[in-house]
Amino acid sequence: MDESVRTDAAAVELDAVSRWYGNVVAVNEISFKLGSGITALLGPNGAGKSTVLHMMAGFLRASRGTVRVLGQPAFANPEIYRSVGLVPEREAVYSFLSGYDFVLTMAKLHRLKDPEAAARRAIQTVDMEQFEKRKTGGYSKGMKQRIKVAAGIVHEPSVLLLDEPFNGMDPAQRLQMMDLLRKMAAQGKTIVVSSHILEEVEQLAGNIVVIVAGRLAASGDFRAIRRLMTERPYSFTVRSSDNRGLAVALLGDDSVFGVELNGERLTVRTAQFSEFVRAAPRVARASGITIRELVPADESLESVFSYLVNR
Amino acid sequence: MNTTVFALTLRQIAGQRRILVVGLVATLAPIGLALIYGAGSFDDPLDWTSNTLLDSIVVRVVLPLACLLVGTSAMGTEIEDGTAVYLLSKPLPRREIVFAKAAAAILVAAAFLLPATALAPQLSLEGAGGEGLVPGFLVATALGICAYTMIFVLLSVATSRPLVFGLGYVFIWEGLLGDLFTGTRYLSIRQYCLGIADGISTVSDRVFAAELNGAIALALMLAVIAGATALATRSLARFELRAED
Repeated sequence: MDESVRTDAAAVELDAVSRWYGNVVAVNEISFKLGSGITALLGPNGAGKSTVLHMMAGFLRASRGTVRVLGQPAFANPEIYRSVGLVPEREAVYSFLSGYDFVLTMAKLHRLKDPEAAARRAIQTVDMEQFEKRKTGGYSKGMKQRIKVAAGIVHEPSVLLLDEPFNGMDPAQRLQMMDLLRKMAAQGKTIVVSSHILEEVEQLAGNIVVIVAGRLAASGDFRAIRRLMTERPYSFTVRSSDNRGLAVALLGDDSVFGVELNGERLTVRTAQFSEFVRAAPRVARASGITIRELVPADESLESVFSYLVNR
Repeated sequence: MNTTVFALTLRQIAGQRRILVVGLVATLAPIGLALIYGAGSFDDPLDWTSNTLLDSIVVRVVLPLACLLVGTSAMGTEIEDGTAVYLLSKPLPRREIVFAKAAAAILVAAAFLLPATALAPQLSLEGAGGEGLVPGFLVATALGICAYTMIFVLLSVATSRPLVFGLGYVFIWEGLLGDLFTGTRYLSIRQYCLGIADGISTVSDRVFAAELNGAIALALMLAVIAGATALATRSLARFELRAED
């Protein structure tokens, strides 16, 4: 697998990075480099994505290894925030400030030359002008996400880190946010988005970094990794009027390469998802067997990831 | 001083109801007690005012508790709810953040405590000569506010349970151990306050006497303020988010 997503001037670079809390290893020897464009940090909940993102953002120290952003160490180095923007996952914003005041405060903290203009520009970018006078405490989840993004881009950073930015957004807001991120990527910015939802990332990122159980499971071009995922064997759990008979009949089909009888349950392995779904009822009918249930056994993202890890 | 951080912190503190409650109690408790005392028959108003009102009530209880709540609100609440990220992801020297946050907290605590410290003795002394007691305790309380607030800002940055550690420190260290072991007087903000107040006032030692000499108390108080500021800055520079995964 390709270790470096893109090799041109790495904006973010992790070199053999580990992080542990006491005896618990959260991130284990992860190395990758990211250049401009959108990269998705993908993995199930609790896999260590946030830990990795927080290390990139300078809010966690690596227990071992180095994390560099734009060539500088990320941790305990406030100077990086001149060119790094962060959109945290947690919903809390300064609820007593209006949307505009919140973004303006961020602009002032960045000591921008014209904070008012920068705040207006950022708010316009996320399309929140009509709500900017309202207190953020009364915002919906989606509005909070957008105002958080405005706060993260007010200083026009060249690296933007977003922790689960699509949480709480409706489909229209999601599309709009994706659009915004694509535009920023087209300007040559480096954008890192963490997510635990494969479909959401699929529409957005060309590059993905997959993290499972604190380890780097895969990194590189999304399509290549997707291919790895679709070419894997699938398992189906089947319940029928005659499991034993069905097992024998299915073994005769080209799409099936393994069956396993386990009491009431029959597990069938296939390398061709759609062919098997078509073949199974046909084979059953030919043998006079009724299929009562046919369920993919491992369609969760977690199983996709664990497949990638165990490969 | 970073006025943006300062103004933001003032609004954060002002937005919390518990702070208003603390402010009322801090202001009204000494004044109310002084009024009650003043209404009754009194044999030695100077003794009661210095030892009971100013030492036992203001310096021992109201001062540390008001500073605890205000000091932990200035930074601790923000760290707890995650909004601190917005402040910390800025290219600002951490010293600047600590100064502005502490300055806002000190201002709020002073607004609650100093008027009460000035007014309550007037009520209990009932026109009797205060012999420098009020200016003495005003200076002592003002410095005490700085020291306590800095310590609680430090606890907010360096620990995950600033309120618990702060209460423990106030009640066990300042409240209990100070009475049991005389050696702790060199390490007690209450004793520094009393030493400074005693150094400024001209009240006879038979009525009110501190365990520390005024100059030593002042030097130690300033050292604590400087030390806590330096440590808070250092902790904030190495601040780590509590990870959720």
